Amino acid sequence: MKADTIVARSTPPGRGALAVLRLSGPATRRVLEKVAPELSAPPPVRRPTLAHLVNPADGSTLDRGLVTFFPGPASYTGEDLAELSVHGGVLVSALVEEACRRAGARQAEPGEFTRRAYLNGKLDLVQAEAVADMVDAQNAALHRTAVHQMDGGLSNRLAELREALVELEALLVHQIDFPEEDDPPVPVATVLERAGAVEAHMEGLLATAPEGELLREGALAVLAGRPNTGKSSLYNALLGEERAIVTPTPGTTRDALEARVQMGGFPFRLVDTAGLRSQAGEVERMGIEVARRYLAGADVILLCLPVDMDWGEPEDSFVAEWAPQVPVVVVRSCADRVPSTDGGAEASAADEGASDVLGGAGDVPEGAGSVAGRVMASARSGQGLQELRTLLGRLVFSGLVKMDAEAPVLTRRRQREGVKDARGEVAAFRQALRDGVPAEAAVSHLRSAETALEELLGVISPEEILDQVFARFCIGK
Amino acid sequence: MAAGRDGYDVIVIGGGHAGTEAAAASARLGARTVLITPDLDRIGQMSCNPAIGGVAKGVVAREVDALGGVMGRATDASRIHFRMLNRSKGPAVWGPRAQCDRGLYPRAVRRVLDELEDLELVQEMVSGLIMDEGRPRGVVTRGGQVVAGRVVVVTAGTFLRGKIHVGGEAGVDAGRAGEAPSLELAEALEAQGLELARFKTGTPPRVDGRTVDFSRVEVQQSHPEDYRFSGYVDEELPDQTVCWITWTGRELRDLIQENLPRSALYGGALSGRGPRYCPSIEDKIVRFPDNPRHQVFLEPEGLHTRELYVNGLSTSLPLEVQEAFLRTVPGLEEARITRMGYAIEYDYFPPHQLRHTLEVRSIPGLFFAGQINGTTGYEEAAGQGIVAGINAGLKALDRDPFTLERDQAYLGVLVDDLVTRGVDEPYRLFTSRAEFRLLLRQDNAQERLGPLARELGLLTPRQADALQRRLDERSRVLAWIRDSVARPDEVNPRLEEVDSTPLREPVRWVELLRRPEVSVEALFRGGEAPFDPEGDVAAAVEVEIKYEGYVERERERAERLREKAGFKLPEELPYMEFETISYESREKLGRVRPSNLAQAGRIPGVSPADLQNLILEVRRWRRSRPADASQEKGEAAAKAEKAG
Repeated sequence: MKADTIVARSTPPGRGALAVLRLSGPATRRVLEKVAPELSAPPPVRRPTLAHLVNPADGSTLDRGLVTFFPGPASYTGEDLAELSVHGGVLVSALVEEACRRAGARQAEPGEFTRRAYLNGKLDLVQAEAVADMVDAQNAALHRTAVHQMDGGLSNRLAELREALVELEALLVHQIDFPEEDDPPVPVATVLERAGAVEAHMEGLLATAPEGELLREGALAVLAGRPNTGKSSLYNALLGEERAIVTPTPGTTRDALEARVQMGGFPFRLVDTAGLRSQAGEVERMGIEVARRYLAGADVILLCLPVDMDWGEPEDSFVAEWAPQVPVVVVRSCADRVPSTDGGAEASAADEGASDVLGGAGDVPEGAGSVAGRVMASARSGQGLQELRTLLGRLVFSGLVKMDAEAPVLTRRRQREGVKDARGEVAAFRQALRDGVPAEAAVSHLRSAETALEELLGVISPEEILDQVFARFCIGK
Repeated sequence: MAAGRDGYDVIVIGGGHAGTEAAAASARLGARTVLITPDLDRIGQMSCNPAIGGVAKGVVAREVDALGGVMGRATDASRIHFRMLNRSKGPAVWGPRAQCDRGLYPRAVRRVLDELEDLELVQEMVSGLIMDEGRPRGVVTRGGQVVAGRVVVVTAGTFLRGKIHVGGEAGVDAGRAGEAPSLELAEALEAQGLELARFKTGTPPRVDGRTVDFSRVEVQQSHPEDYRFSGYVDEELPDQTVCWITWTGRELRDLIQENLPRSALYGGALSGRGPRYCPSIEDKIVRFPDNPRHQVFLEPEGLHTRELYVNGLSTSLPLEVQEAFLRTVPGLEEARITRMGYAIEYDYFPPHQLRHTLEVRSIPGLFFAGQINGTTGYEEAAGQGIVAGINAGLKALDRDPFTLERDQAYLGVLVDDLVTRGVDEPYRLFTSRAEFRLLLRQDNAQERLGPLARELGLLTPRQADALQRRLDERSRVLAWIRDSVARPDEVNPRLEEVDSTPLREPVRWVELLRRPEVSVEALFRGGEAPFDPEGDVAAAVEVEIKYEGYVERERERAERLREKAGFKLPEELPYMEFETISYESREKLGRVRPSNLAQAGRIPGVSPADLQNLILEVRRWRRSRPADASQEKGEAAAKAEKAG
C-alpha cells in the first residue's frame, strides 16, 4: 500500500558526457545508503556531493558521481528525491540504475515523476502538461509557452476565469438566499456584461488553440510545384541535410517525404511531394494522390518555380485551387541562376493570407494575386532561405507572433475542449437570461462552466460561493 | 437501587425542535419512546426569533412535515404573519416564512406529541449515560432516576456547558436565558472519547411595543394567502398581524465602535466561533463599517403580548449601551427594553464523528441531533431531529437505516454537509448549499418525501390518504395541462396582459406555460381550468413544465453523481497507510470515513488526484487483505493437491 520508490534515467539514452538518474520515494535514503555508502546519513540536503557508486550486491565500484538529495515535501515530486549525475554512455547509467533497483527501487514508468508531483499537489494538471511540453519542446516557441505555463500562466488565467464565474454565481445566489436585504437587485444588464467579459476572455484563449496545438504537433508545410522545379533541393536546404534524392530527371520524388524542422523559431513538419504532372506513370500517380492529401491538410504551401521558368497555367490553376484555403508562398527557386536582384521575402499582410502582388520576386504575374507571399531563394547559395523560414513562421503562427510572450496559450486538445465547454455554458447562460429564464435556473449553466474549468485544472471548489457571499455582503435576517 | 423506568426502545434527551421531532418520529414507527427534558412547559420553545421558514429553511420545514413531522402543523397553528419570500423570482426558489406566536407554537407541539401513543414525556435533567461494552444501555437523571433503553438520541441544544454573556461581566452558566445549563451530560459525553468544540451565538434585545413609535417605521403586511406548511393536517390558522421594518444609522455605528471593548463578543470574553450570518450588530459594524444602514425587523412575540423581538440587533453589549443604541433607531427612540440581548457560548460535537444516520460512529446506538452538532436554526434542528429519530426507531426495531441523498432533500444536503464537511461556524442552510436546488422545492416536498414516509410507516392512515389525494391531483393537473388545448379567443386577452405574443392557432396549454413571461396564475386566473391556479399543486406543475430542461439537467447531473457514488469505501480502510494520498487528505478521510467516493469528493481539501489514487489504493487493499489472501492460499493449495 505504501508508495514505492522509483528510479529512472532522466537524460536521453546514447553517448554523452553525463547522464542523470532520478530516484524518488520514501526509500530514497535507504537506496542511497546502499548505492552511495560513502555519503553521510542522512545525506547532505540539496548539496551535490561526490561519491563512489557501488553495486550493493558485491560492493564493486560502478562509477564516481555527484549525488544531490532533496528531502520531501520540498522536492519536485513532493517526496524524498535524489539526482545522481554519472558518466555518460549507455553502460554506466544502466549499471547504476540496476544498482538502485537492487537496493529497493523500481523502474519508473514514463511520466511517473511528474505524475507524483501532480498527485502530491506540487503541480496542477495544466502545469503537469506544461512539463511534458517542455521536455518535448523541439522549438523555441513551445519551450517559451511551456516555461510560462509551468509557472502557472495558463493555470492562473483559467483560475481567474473560474473565479469570475464563481463571483457572478455568488451575486445571483445571494439574491435568492437573502431576498429581504435592502441591497438593490443587480441589473440583468450588469450580469450579462460581466458574463460577456468572461466569454470574451475564453474566446481569446480559444483563439490561441489552433496555433498552440501546432506548437506541439508542428505545422504542416508542403512543398509543391511542377516536376523538376527544385522542390527537393529546397527541402534539403531547409532541413540542412540530404534527405530527398535530387536528380535532374523529372519525377524523381514519387512519394512524400516528411521531416520535422524548426523554422523561424516554430516547429514544422516539412513535406516534399511528387511533382504535380498531368501525364504521369502509375507509381507516380500514387505519389500525386499522397501529395493531394498532404496539401489538403497543409498549414502552409510552398509553391516552387525556378526563376528561369515562366509562370504558367499549372501555377495559375494551383493557386486558384489552394490559395483560398491555405496560405501559399511562391518560392522562385534556383535564384542563383539569375544575377541577384534584391532577393528576399515579401509577405503581403501575413495574417490575412492574401493581398496585392508585390514586385521584386521575379516576374510572378497576374494570376498569383492571392498568394500569401513570395520569396527568391537558392538552395545552392542559401540565398533567401532565412527570409523564407521567418516568413513561414510569421504566416502560420501569426497570432502567437503578435502575442505577448507571457500570454497563456492552449497547447492541447484537452485544454481546448475544456475551455470550449466552459465558453459554451457561459454563452448558454447569457442566452437564457436574455430569453427571460429566471436566474435561479440559468445559474446552472455557470455551475457547469465552473465544473469544466475545475476539471481542466484538476481542483474542486469547497464552499467558495458562500465565502464570496459573506465577504461581500452584510447579511442580517 | 435507584428509582427506575424501563421498557423503552428509544430515549430522547431534550425537548427542543430536534428532540420533539426525534421523539415523535421514533414513536410513529412504533418504537416505545421517552422524551426527557428539564422543563415540560418549555417543550418546543422558540428561544431565538419567533419565526419558522424562509428561503431554504422553509423548504426544510415542509420536508420535515412531509416525513410526518411536527413542525409544519405547529407552525400553521401558531403563525400570525406570513410571507412568501422570493415572490418576484421563479417559484423554484420561493421561500415561505411564518412569524409565530411564541406562546401558541409550543402549545401546538405539545398537542401533537400528546397524540402519540408510544411516546412518554418525563421532566428531568439527564446527568449521565449508562454504558455497557461501548453501547448505551440507558441514562441517569439528576433526580436519581435510571431510565433504561438501548438507543439514545441526544438533542441538548446550547445547554452543554452553556454560558451567557452580557457586556464585560463574567459569563453566567446557563442553557438559555433563565435556565440552568447541563454540565454533567457534557462531561459524560466527553468521557466517551468524543471530540468537543465551542460555538457562540447571540440574541437581540426585546422591547415593549407600547413604547415604540410606529409612525416612524415601515409596516410589513402579511401575505394574504392561506398557505400551509403541513400537507397532511389542516390546522386552524390564528389571526394575522403585521411586522415592521426600521434601519440603523451612523449614530448607532459610532456608538458601537466606541463601546466595542465592552462587548463580550469583541472584548475577548467568548472563545467560540460565531456565524457569518445572523451576525451580531457588533459584527456587522466591524465588518461593514461603510454600510450606511442596516435593516432591523420588529417582530411581534405573539398575539396576546405587545412585546417585540428586535431582529437584526443581536448583541452582547451592556444594558446601558443597548439602551443608548436603541435610542438612535427611528421608532425606537423611547423604546423600553423588556429583555436584554445576550450572547451564549456552548459545547458542540463536531459532526464528522457521525454517520449519515446521525448515529455517533464510535458508539452504536447513540444519536446526536440539532445544535449539539454545530448547527443553528429551528428548521435545521428539526430536520436532524427527524432523521435521527427515524433512524433511532429503525435501529431499535432492527430495521434498515434511512438516509437521504443530496438530490432528494435539503435534509440530505444538511446531513451530508455536516458529516462530510464538518462545520467551522454554526451551520445554516442556504439554497447555495444545494446543488440541485431546482429539484428541492417547497412545493414538491410532499411528492419527494411523502412516499418514503408512507413506506417507512411514519404516516397515519389519514395522512397517507391525504398524500395519495395530493399525488393524484398532481398527475391529473399535469396531464390536463399537457393534453388540453387553449383557444386563441379565450387565452389571448390573458397573454396580452403579460406582454406575451398572442396565439393564432390553438395550442396545448403546456406550450404557453413554457414561456418565461407566462405564469400559471396569469394563464388560468379567472378561467375555467379544472384546478386552483393559485394552489400548491399548480405551482409545482408550473415549475416542472417551465424549467423542464433545467430540471432534467439537474436530474442527469444527480445521476452522474450517483454513478460516482457507486464506488464503495469500506468503513475499515486504513487511510493513514495510503501513502499515495496527500497526508492532509489521509487524515481527513480517516476522520470522516466516507461511505462512497462521491462523499469523499465533497470533503474540503480532498483533490481529484486523491480520489483517483484512493480508487487504486482501495483495489490494492482489497487484494492484499489477509482474509482474501488466505482464501487465495487455500485455492492455491487445493490446486496443488489436484495437481499432485
